[in-house]
Amino acid sequence: MKIRKILIVDDEQIILSYLEKKFTKLDYSVYLAGDGEEAVKQAFLNNPDIILLDIKLPKLNGIDVCKKLKADERTKNIPILILSARAQASEIKIGIAAGADKYLCKPMSFPDILSEIRAYDNK
Amino acid sequence: MLNKLYKTFKNLGIFPKLLVSYLILSIIPLIIMGYIANKNLRDTGLQAVLRAEEMGSHNLQAAEYIGKTSIADSVVALDRKSTEAIELRTVELAARIADFLYERDKDLRVLASIKPDSRHYLDIYRLSNRDVIDTERPPVTDTNKADSPIMTSSNPENRDAWRHLPPCPARKLSRPLYKEITFIDLQGREKIKIAGGKISGNLLDVSRKENTYCRAENYFTHLKKLHKGEIYVSRVIGEQLKGWLYNTPEGIKISPESSYAGRENPSGKKFAGIIRWATPVYNEKNEKAGYVTLALDHTHIMEFTDHVSPTEERFTILSDGGSGNYAFIWDNEARCISHARDFFICGFNPQTGKAVPGWLSEQTYNEYKKSGLTLEEFVEQLPSFSNFTQVKSASIEQIKSGFIPLDCRVLDNAPQCQGWHEGTEDGGSGSFLILWSGLWKLTTYSAIPYYTGDYGKSKRGFGYVTIGANVDDFHRDANITRANIEKSLREQGRKIISENNKTRELIKENASTNRLLFILIAVMACLAVISISLLLSLTITRPLRQLTHGAVEISRGNYEQSIRVKSQDEIGQLAKSFNEMAKTVSEVDKMKSDFVTTASHELRTPIQAMLLGISGILEGYSGKIDGEVREDLELAKTGIERLMNLISNLLDLSRIEAQKIEFTVSQVSLAEIIDRAIAEVSDLAQKHRHTIVKYVPADIPDIEADHDRMIQVIINLLSNSIKYSPDGGKIIIRAGEKEGKTVLTVIDNGYGIPSWAKEEVFKKFFQADNIMSHKVGGSGLGLTIAKGIVENHGGYIYCESPVPEGEFPELPLGGERKGAIFVIEFPTVHNPRT
Repeated sequence: MKIRKILIVDDEQIILSYLEKKFTKLDYSVYLAGDGEEAVKQAFLNNPDIILLDIKLPKLNGIDVCKKLKADERTKNIPILILSARAQASEIKIGIAAGADKYLCKPMSFPDILSEIRAYDNK
Repeated sequence: MLNKLYKTFKNLGIFPKLLVSYLILSIIPLIIMGYIANKNLRDTGLQAVLRAEEMGSHNLQAAEYIGKTSIADSVVALDRKSTEAIELRTVELAARIADFLYERDKDLRVLASIKPDSRHYLDIYRLSNRDVIDTERPPVTDTNKADSPIMTSSNPENRDAWRHLPPCPARKLSRPLYKEITFIDLQGREKIKIAGGKISGNLLDVSRKENTYCRAENYFTHLKKLHKGEIYVSRVIGEQLKGWLYNTPEGIKISPESSYAGRENPSGKKFAGIIRWATPVYNEKNEKAGYVTLALDHTHIMEFTDHVSPTEERFTILSDGGSGNYAFIWDNEARCISHARDFFICGFNPQTGKAVPGWLSEQTYNEYKKSGLTLEEFVEQLPSFSNFTQVKSASIEQIKSGFIPLDCRVLDNAPQCQGWHEGTEDGGSGSFLILWSGLWKLTTYSAIPYYTGDYGKSKRGFGYVTIGANVDDFHRDANITRANIEKSLREQGRKIISENNKTRELIKENASTNRLLFILIAVMACLAVISISLLLSLTITRPLRQLTHGAVEISRGNYEQSIRVKSQDEIGQLAKSFNEMAKTVSEVDKMKSDFVTTASHELRTPIQAMLLGISGILEGYSGKIDGEVREDLELAKTGIERLMNLISNLLDLSRIEAQKIEFTVSQVSLAEIIDRAIAEVSDLAQKHRHTIVKYVPADIPDIEADHDRMIQVIINLLSNSIKYSPDGGKIIIRAGEKEGKTVLTVIDNGYGIPSWAKEEVFKKFFQADNIMSHKVGGSGLGLTIAKGIVENHGGYIYCESPVPEGEFPELPLGGERKGAIFVIEFPTVHNPRT
């Protein structure tokens, strides 16, 4: 199964808009969330194939979002890729412990992000 | 030496310093004081004891001297008093005897004045009685001093030195004074005779000796010469008694068959003698009609002395010849007429009527034996009082014969006889001392002032009384006192010694108690000092240690330090300041940390946006782009990457400096990480045509380290070598083991490092330009980060430059290629911080 629906969570509007434009262009269904609560809401609502999740978020941080989604039956099987500027080993550990499937550090080029998402095709 | 001590002291911790100071300040003076005090106490005590001993000894000596002197004085005084008392007694005794004898003169004159008549004579005989002490029957009462009813006076005022002697308890017998009263005619025929208490019919011719007493009287011859009123008095006439003396270890004893000898032989036959008085009787016509005679029973004379005791007893029923304390009477011719031992009285042989010759010395007796004379003849011709000395001994043969009358004139082994005789020559009295039978004896003498008849021929009168007494008995009290004093002195001496010994013991005991107490105090003081020092040093050093620990922790980046110090002193203030400082540092650090984190995050976000954009364009996601745009975008992308790299390095550096870098430690294969690092830098190396050679032994053990960080270290070193080498250089990377360490070496043949910069190269933002002839890119943080990571793994990094020639033959050196060696050493087993 190919990844078709991507939920992108980031508090930075520029990044959200850029990624929405690029992924839409590549025929992905893109859902956006600017804060943690929205991210959870979107995840339940749209049941995405993969989630690209920032950690530093308003209202509910990425780690808590990840925990919440991984704890819920409906969303626990959705791969979550954390994309964060926090690159410390301890921070990575926390992210993995929260149930994230991959921890990616900013900055990351679009081709790299795309290849990371494509890696989940047929998984 | 002092310097050395001072240095040692300086290097001590606070506790030993305090302890040493307190010990010096308190314990040493205490020990010295204690020692001196104890020594003084003991010395003073011992001095006192010595003084006391000296004084005691002096006192004893003084007391002994006083005792001796006073006793000697007492002895002299007592002896004198006793002597005087006995002398007086002797004189009085002699006077009483004389009086008694004169009374007989009176009796005789009375008889002579009356007409001779047997009835009258008998009356007079019967009236003339005198008591004598009964020596054969026991005393009337058993009174002795203790039982005396008059123990003391009823009036207390009389009780001082009350002395009482009860009367003589002896039984007394009334004894006729006279054995005979006779009237004889001018021819010597007895006309009247009273004898045995009655008128005797046995009238004898007394002109014949055989008809007289003991056949010894010759008074009739004397009577014819008497004028009216003149009186004849005979010598003592009686049968010579026998007695035997023998020596025993206890002294001289008297055999029982001997005659009477007082206490020594009370049941023996008593001397029975007479003294004859006679005077002419005249009738009315004043014509001599005959003679009246009286035969005085000699017992009455002996009675004067037989019971005299010159001792405290004063009086005795049975005199004791053996004791030496008794009285004698000697007649005018120095013959014994009264003695405790009756056989010593000079008597007559009743068979022959002759006087028994006196006892001689052995020496004189031997002369007699050689003389060829009879003993009577020999004694008769002996000169009186010739060569008298105690050197001579008594004649044994005479003792054996039993006839040993004491005739002073010839008793030449008894010098006192001569003394008495000479002393009474003028009718006087006196005394002298003589050492007799080993005892000092006082012997007194007094003439008996009775001068009737022939007794008037010498001033000695009737003869003399002598009393003998043991001198020691006089001053027995003094001797007792002496013994008491000596005993008391001895006891005193013993007491002083014992007291002194006790005192000595006491002093020793006290000294030892003091020592113990002192040691106890010293130990307690020591403990107190140690405790105080410990306490003080703890109050000082504990906060100091806490401060030190806190400071170390802060230096390690643990800023949350708070030291609990309650005291308000300098230490407390220091701790307070420290806490405030730690708080500030912590806040500042947090601010810095927050800033770095925030800054890096905040920087990454726009960079992310830039990168997304540029990378998307470059990959053609935004449409086709031509060559020049691509070139410009590539330039922008390189700038973004360098910026990212710089941010990463800065973040790492800040974490290293803040000791906040985190490691994920695992078993890391050196070969693997070296390969990874080489791969990472290969693009750059190729760009500058550098060759990288690695030497990693197959058996090199893994190290425990953070995998990615170690790769970062090697990348940084290799990048450094690449950047600081002229193009076309050679870089060798080697792994090996040396002295228990894992050693990683990166050697290049680059520009090298000046010797002054070997340390500096590890400092952040080291201006490499200073040593470089051309500019190279880089953040200037690579080696600093490498050093931080290595050191946080417990390793050590350093560099050498230039590379010694010949050490690495494959490495071309020379010219500007001086080369540099970077060495990293890890403990083979190590535990980096995580």
